[in-house]
Amino acid sequence: MTGSNEYKLNQGPEDSISAVKFSPSTAQFLLVSSWDCTVRLYDVGGNTMRMKYQHTAPVLDCAFYDPTHSWSGGLDSQLKTHDLNTDQDTIVGAHDAPIRCVEYCPEVNVMVTGSWDRSVRLWDPRTPCNAGTFTQPEKVYTLSVAGDRLIVGTAGRRVLVWDLRNMGYVQQRRESSLKYQTRCIRAFPNKQGYVLSSIEGRVAVEYLDPSQEVQKKKYAFKCHRLKEEGIEQVYPVNAISFHSVHNTFATGGSDGFVNIWDPFNKKRLCQFHRYPTSIASLAFNNDGTMLAIASSYMQEKGDISHPEDAIFIRQVTDAETKPKST
Amino acid sequence: MAEGGDVEWELSKENIQPLRRGRAISALHQALSQQQEGHSSATNQQRQAFECELRMYDGEDPLDVWDRYIKWTEQTFPQGGKESNLATLLERAVTRFTDEKKYHEDPRYVHLWIKFAENCPEPLDIYRFMQAQGIGVTQASFYIAWSEEYENQGNCRKADLVFQEGFKKCAEPNDKLLQFHKALQARVSRRAMMDVEEEESDNEPKEPERVSLADLKHRGKKKAIAPVNRTGPAIRSVSGGLQSRGTSILGNASNSRLMIFDETKTQSAGPSEPKLESWMAPPTSRAKENEQRPEKWSDVKIPQKSKFGHTVMAPPPPKPTFQPFVEESDQPPTMTPCKINPAVNTVLSARKPCREETPLKRLQDHHHQQREGEAGKPQEQSMYCKELLLSGAVEFSFEELRAERHFKKTAQESEVRRQRDQANASTAN
Repeated sequence: MTGSNEYKLNQGPEDSISAVKFSPSTAQFLLVSSWDCTVRLYDVGGNTMRMKYQHTAPVLDCAFYDPTHSWSGGLDSQLKTHDLNTDQDTIVGAHDAPIRCVEYCPEVNVMVTGSWDRSVRLWDPRTPCNAGTFTQPEKVYTLSVAGDRLIVGTAGRRVLVWDLRNMGYVQQRRESSLKYQTRCIRAFPNKQGYVLSSIEGRVAVEYLDPSQEVQKKKYAFKCHRLKEEGIEQVYPVNAISFHSVHNTFATGGSDGFVNIWDPFNKKRLCQFHRYPTSIASLAFNNDGTMLAIASSYMQEKGDISHPEDAIFIRQVTDAETKPKST
Repeated sequence: MAEGGDVEWELSKENIQPLRRGRAISALHQALSQQQEGHSSATNQQRQAFECELRMYDGEDPLDVWDRYIKWTEQTFPQGGKESNLATLLERAVTRFTDEKKYHEDPRYVHLWIKFAENCPEPLDIYRFMQAQGIGVTQASFYIAWSEEYENQGNCRKADLVFQEGFKKCAEPNDKLLQFHKALQARVSRRAMMDVEEEESDNEPKEPERVSLADLKHRGKKKAIAPVNRTGPAIRSVSGGLQSRGTSILGNASNSRLMIFDETKTQSAGPSEPKLESWMAPPTSRAKENEQRPEKWSDVKIPQKSKFGHTVMAPPPPKPTFQPFVEESDQPPTMTPCKINPAVNTVLSARKPCREETPLKRLQDHHHQQREGEAGKPQEQSMYCKELLLSGAVEFSFEELRAERHFKKTAQESEVRRQRDQANASTAN
């Protein structure tokens, strides 16, 4: 099943994978958080696990602050930072409910966490300490950083755009243009917009500039649907990752497929083979030559038996990721 | 402490929606004090706990969780409103069990339906739907609520028919049904008597006048919309059973009857007679709100009897035969072109014409869809546990559901471990 351009990571997590993130500076390191209460650091080139550390409960998200520090949070509501050189833990703070997302904003040099306690908290990574709590209208499900702006997706299909330099007010309040629950939001590397995926096989491309001309360009499309015996099976779209150079993006759905899209020509660039189970998380590396694919059942259909969780590393070519100039 | 609470309750009476079963005063105090500092995380946590329970419940009686959740919502959000999600919650609860025959005669379920109907713009349609589905047809409370709705709309005959239907179906408890039916009959007959008396007492046509503190009928079929015209037939004359025939405060008769001041009479009257306060100043124009407004006369057609006995239409107003003079220098002010930023302009964009979607419509759609689903022709199939994510008033994500399962499991494990430790300790001793 795995060809020469793709391999499975050894020593994978023992339970579902919640997030995979590449190091910001090298293609060598991959951070993986999991429901088995661990965060693991893999050496992708050598295909070995370099390190792992524990939380007291399942971990829902993790992020690199710099190549030597990881941050992570999960069901224990605690935010941890880990020094990857010295293998030392620090508990930075906590939310009132499980932490769903952890992100780093290099422009403002701040860590951002979103939680089911309906708040987003900012953390100064140098001290490290809490730098403010900002109430959201609903439970935070996903968030993404676009330059100095923060895009928060919550329950109830709401989308809030904050200015990280001035968190005094919400810059934009929006409603998701999709009809069903928001699964994932990721910002364009060119900071002009974001892509939002929903639980019912649909993806929307949106722009941050509120002027009418720019807003006219927004659109949505169906994907991750399979036709079987005349019935269209609609799968959640769980993961999005942007190619840092080409501004194209990959989506992963519970159907086990990964698609790469060209948002400018509104074309699908390619589709990979079907993975054993749902795609839970996707990550391009810093220069866009590799894609980490977490194939891991997320209990979308309840706690039932399922194929083994696994992380695949795939070499991607420009032919697969570059918009075709016509 | 208690006094502080009392003050709060005094200050916010108008923000509290009446409940049929009344409210626990302690819950009310708590809700009101919380209201002032915004809804606390405690409320959110409690709601989250209910939402979890709705989804994780695997016992015999799933309605119980819904029932408790809805009662808690009513008590916690005395002002109702969107924030409480009560309408959504009722709708979901009611839809969820439409096909569960075992609940159709459950008083709790029927009460949820009645609450749902009362929250709808067209309660009567809901009651008819219930009857067609066979929900609550042997429950007295169903017929009582239905009949009350007819009575509110002034259709006493139908209200009575509903009771007859209830008797035919032998609705339980029977004595309650009887009692409410008698009350209805009493109200109807009292009104009939009052009407007769009115006809006798005043022959001259009277100006309708507004009555203060009168109970108003709802306008048309829509519920909870006060009529524009607040006189005459718009007043509900069925309020309570307190006033007797002679001293009817409501209705027009008492209003048009002028009290004529008589010196000798006041002197002779005892001290118990309430003394009428004299006006310090003439009533302001504010008090004249019921006067007829000046109307456009050009539209009014007055039938005019000519000598020959047939009507003549009023001639149309003649066009002016002269050109109105306009000073040449008096140009109309040129409009300075005002460039409106289109981004800002959208703030006040016209509201989109939304599709008319009543809760009943959704209900019927749901019903329809299920029928079609049984026929085996779903066009789309969601490949995830949609019911679990969307039941209740707020949505859940997969991760939340899974977290709930995880917490449940760890709690069970720690319980088992604790018991084992205890057993070990006792054997060691």
